[in-house]
Amino acid sequence: MSQNLCMSPELGKEDMDPNVVNRMIFVGPNAKVSEGEIVHEMHMLGLPLTIKHTCYGAMVSGQKEDVLKAITEIRKLDSYHIFTKDRGFAPGDPRRCRGHRFGPREGFHQMEKEFQILGDVADALEKPEKVIIHPKTPVDVDDFVETVNDYINKE
Amino acid sequence: MVKVAIYPPNSLVLADLIERKGLTPLSLQKQMRKKIKDLEIDSPPMNITEDDPIAGLKYAAIEVPSGVRGRMFIIGPLIDEAEAAIIVDGAPFGFGCVGCARTNELSIFYLRSKDIPVLEITYPTNRAETFNMVNEINEFLDSLKEDKEEE
Repeated sequence: MSQNLCMSPELGKEDMDPNVVNRMIFVGPNAKVSEGEIVHEMHMLGLPLTIKHTCYGAMVSGQKEDVLKAITEIRKLDSYHIFTKDRGFAPGDPRRCRGHRFGPREGFHQMEKEFQILGDVADALEKPEKVIIHPKTPVDVDDFVETVNDYINKE
Repeated sequence: MVKVAIYPPNSLVLADLIERKGLTPLSLQKQMRKKIKDLEIDSPPMNITEDDPIAGLKYAAIEVPSGVRGRMFIIGPLIDEAEAAIIVDGAPFGFGCVGCARTNELSIFYLRSKDIPVLEITYPTNRAETFNMVNEINEFLDSLKEDKEEE
């Protein structure tokens, strides 16, 4: 498994640019668009981006403004079912890419787990409801003493 | 824009919900990106340097294992920046675990003890709970935006 412990990859100029961001785009289970459509749409925007078609959606890398613009545009396709998050490593980086490793990359299992609730999350976003948040507060000392005393007296 | 710390710090659902409301999620990946771009690090999968546990001393005492201090070096600045926090309790192993239970405890302790609005919820196990989680998060984020506007 020494391959998993990895090498020093030949990093390009883009990999070292502080303004370059990487984003993962997930297509939820009940989405009305496919992964391919998202990738196609991003290519059609004509922005200077690196786009990778993946099993869960797409991965996009480029200057921050361009990436955010692309995300805003593709969210218009199906805003409730398209989810995004940042990623540290660039698309295809040999230190993380599954193509260069044995087995799934780190983070895949989390994605798999979160994907299971994405359908419900999208439905909840589509039909929002008003809820009241009850903040957690510590038990009052007097109440606690009273409860303990009650219990002792019962014994 | 309000900066919201999330726990688990690399959660997709939390980061996405915060961004949808126009706020900034403080996610772990952004910190990792900074490390990856660091020219001094040769092999970022094993990207801890001797300076990291020393810098981590700000967040954890010397008796604390170096692994925790090294992790706190990455997560600590996010906690410092936080203006609000969302903590998901009872998340399964795969749900954004940073790989160290003690680091999780310490980070959650710092977030709770910081004087900022904190929303604590439990990881959903069914559809109704997921709906509740999403609605609570949205409600919390709306209240943060209102507070910011009042200021």
